[in-house]
Amino acid sequence: MLRFIARRLVSAIPVLFGILLATFVIGRLIPGDPCQAALQERATAEACAEFNAAYGFDDPIVTQFFGYVSDVFHGDLGNSVQERQSVTDLLIDRLPVTLQLSAAALLIAVVVGVPLGVLAGSRHNSKTDVATIVGANLGVSIPVFVLGLILQYVFALQLDGTPLELPASGQLTPGVIPDPFYEVWGLSHNSLFEFIANIDLVNAVLIWRWDIFVDALQHLILPAVALATIPMAIIARMTRSSLVDVLGLDYVRTARAKGLRERVVIARHALRNSLLPVVTVIGLSLGTLVGGAILTETIFNLTGVGKTLFDAITGRDYFVVQGFTLVVAVGFVVINLITDIVYTFLDPKVRVS
Amino acid sequence: MRQRRFRWVSAFVALGLVAAACGGDDDDSAEGGGEEAPAEGGDFEALAFDESAQCGTEGYAGNLAGIEAVDARTVTFTLCNPDVAFPSKVAFSALGIFPEEQLEEASTGAPVDSPIGTGPYRLEAWEKGSQIVLTANEDYWGDAPAIPTVVFRWSEESAQRLVELQSGNVDGIDNVGTEDFETVANDSNLQLIEREPLNVFYLGFNVDKPPFDNEQLRQAIGYAIDKDRIIENFYPEGSIAADQFLPPGIPQYQDGAETFTYDPDRARELLAEAGYPNGVDLGVLSYRATVRGYLPQPPQVASDIRDQLAQVGITVALDEQEEGAFIDNANTGALSFYMLGWGADFPDATNFWDFHFGVGASPQFGTGFDDMHEVLTEAGSTVDEGERGDLYAQANELLFQHAQAIPIAYGGSAVAFNATVEDAHASPLSNERFAVMSEEGADQLVWMQNGEPSGLYCADETDGEALRVCEQINESLLGYEVGGTEVEPALAEEWESNDDLTEWTFTLREDVTFHDGSTFDANDVVASYRAQWDAADPRHVGREGLFTYFEALFGGFLNPPPAPPE
Repeated sequence: MLRFIARRLVSAIPVLFGILLATFVIGRLIPGDPCQAALQERATAEACAEFNAAYGFDDPIVTQFFGYVSDVFHGDLGNSVQERQSVTDLLIDRLPVTLQLSAAALLIAVVVGVPLGVLAGSRHNSKTDVATIVGANLGVSIPVFVLGLILQYVFALQLDGTPLELPASGQLTPGVIPDPFYEVWGLSHNSLFEFIANIDLVNAVLIWRWDIFVDALQHLILPAVALATIPMAIIARMTRSSLVDVLGLDYVRTARAKGLRERVVIARHALRNSLLPVVTVIGLSLGTLVGGAILTETIFNLTGVGKTLFDAITGRDYFVVQGFTLVVAVGFVVINLITDIVYTFLDPKVRVS
Repeated sequence: MRQRRFRWVSAFVALGLVAAACGGDDDDSAEGGGEEAPAEGGDFEALAFDESAQCGTEGYAGNLAGIEAVDARTVTFTLCNPDVAFPSKVAFSALGIFPEEQLEEASTGAPVDSPIGTGPYRLEAWEKGSQIVLTANEDYWGDAPAIPTVVFRWSEESAQRLVELQSGNVDGIDNVGTEDFETVANDSNLQLIEREPLNVFYLGFNVDKPPFDNEQLRQAIGYAIDKDRIIENFYPEGSIAADQFLPPGIPQYQDGAETFTYDPDRARELLAEAGYPNGVDLGVLSYRATVRGYLPQPPQVASDIRDQLAQVGITVALDEQEEGAFIDNANTGALSFYMLGWGADFPDATNFWDFHFGVGASPQFGTGFDDMHEVLTEAGSTVDEGERGDLYAQANELLFQHAQAIPIAYGGSAVAFNATVEDAHASPLSNERFAVMSEEGADQLVWMQNGEPSGLYCADETDGEALRVCEQINESLLGYEVGGTEVEPALAEEWESNDDLTEWTFTLREDVTFHDGSTFDANDVVASYRAQWDAADPRHVGREGLFTYFEALFGGFLNPPPAPPE
């Protein structure tokens, strides 16, 4: 097993180098001039010369690339042109927002999607199956921004004043300022602690403030549901079709022939094998989540990775585009690695091969 | 007790000290050649800077000649040239006063992230990306704020801001979407307050470039434009067809100014008199696609103007340019015929007239007209408002005659509040003052604007989102009336000038304290100005270090950094 993981880690190295190259090139391929974007009406030739010198944009492109690689290996992702702070600090601020949102959305997608898929697959061609398929197709079809606006309209405006009312914003209630857990615990401040403290739900638990936990949860529900819908529908459909395939295999027939109850056949024999493609889909869904986060964060007024990346692209903020894309891409590599490892637990054949 | 922070050494320091101690003539004490001249008054060590020797020199383009703390409650500014708009400039929020001690920490970014002021609210917390929380300053010199806490939130989406307001999550929003005016107006839970326009959108010509050197051709274009149609189709409620270069919110606006009204027959007549009886091809109409308050839909407006001109026989192609290049081209006079606009930096006619048509204006309209230069120069050095009004009326007539610019529209906007918020208002300068608002039983007012401030040291900020927050925290010597543009006392309770408008003296309020408990005095004023004025001062540090507004208001810095090579 360790050798398998080590092999996977080694194979990730060229991928990571490719990511470095790709993020650098993507950053430079964004149309427009970062000086014009940053200084706007003040972007005179003199001001731009000073600006480009300060950010190294007047160096040869190869020098810029190797400088970038060197900086990354020293933990320096550069400074944001628009935000005037380091990209690392921006990540500490913004990544927790997206992480919390994506984790909540993924949780909803899996917890609802897998059982729905199992329900539909185990009752193949029944009304339940058809209803699930129709629901899943609807879920895939509705764009995040449409669903987000509908959810806001229904839960924030139409149900205003009822127990079902939910806030239209993804942020905490205005004026609520949770103390960071490290301050409450008397610990010294560091980047990791700050990162954790920026995950509202986790910080609320760590400082034992259930009122803030509930507030954070209430503000998380609508954006998480909006973001979860598409991956949830995909997971449900994949689980259903995979389960239908597995239920037709000989070993399942054998299990049934042994007189096992259908619930046991599905839960202990069929589901494990049918989950292999579902795990793949869950891994891939994280890509959908990051893409959807751009829209979700905009609609629900959250300042996370998606919104920051969008602003950076429109603002030609090279270092933020590079840094955030790099971190997201590395995240994908890690998730793929985890997916591969999960495969080995679900299917020993993968480990052997 | 305040400590001297600078080590300005000069023989003249001693002279200034003695002169101030003796209550000597200002002129005597104002010969420091750029050196700090401390003067004593009890235990008060007054700061003074005299740079009058720099006036008119090659390395100094500014109009500020000196600042002197005459005593703890008196500050005198001297200028190179008369400036009738000086009080209006001094009231601007980019000239907020900071404690001398915090300015010393400018290099650490302290004023940018945690400004200390004298305003009705103090900064409680700034959660980047999320919210800014202000709490009432219990030691405020004026009326205590009715609502103890003000929270600033932001969203670029007007629809999002409205949903937040409708759902009760926020109490007020900025810039109601053009399509949402009716929704807000019809909602009994909300109040819509239109903001008086303080901008102008115009068609500009470089009159040095043929065929635009033909006055009758330019006038023909003025008569060919149906301003009302443009307003109706492309502007939000509250927008007005422009009848002169000054918007109505500027005090020197003249009622009944002669203007171009839509008259296609007159346009054709003038076109024929200009030598184009069969119409004319003018080449291109240049513009940028950037949305501004004075021009909310640039491409659509450009298309409509092209179509309107075609009705009278004038053909023109549209030339959309990249934003930066467009501004550069306009400022260098490279554009012959273009769409541009202007939003007020401070509410005085000079900010509109002199910047565009005065002696030192850029060549965007060509070399300019002597008669216009004379009128504007005289108006800029005239104190009497009646006489100034007469002069600006003449300027209006000259602009109508020369037609180097055709004012088209004043772009409006609006804010919305919960109906329960009392004394809610919209400021034409976008500096709504939350300290005067109240809401029964509310201990918090939440305001949602378009964007997050980039920094809160507004000496080095230019966007309105930052300025509005700064205005709650930091105060300038003077201020603008609530919801208006008239200059009124703030940290200075009185001010006066000499006859030729080159020396301005401000008497400061007593018993004003900063949010950190330190006492406000004249040295804080001198230090706050000096930090912006002198580019070589170690306190001349902000978020970007550009101090754009100071340069725009006073013409330039001392010791400006050398321009980098092309």
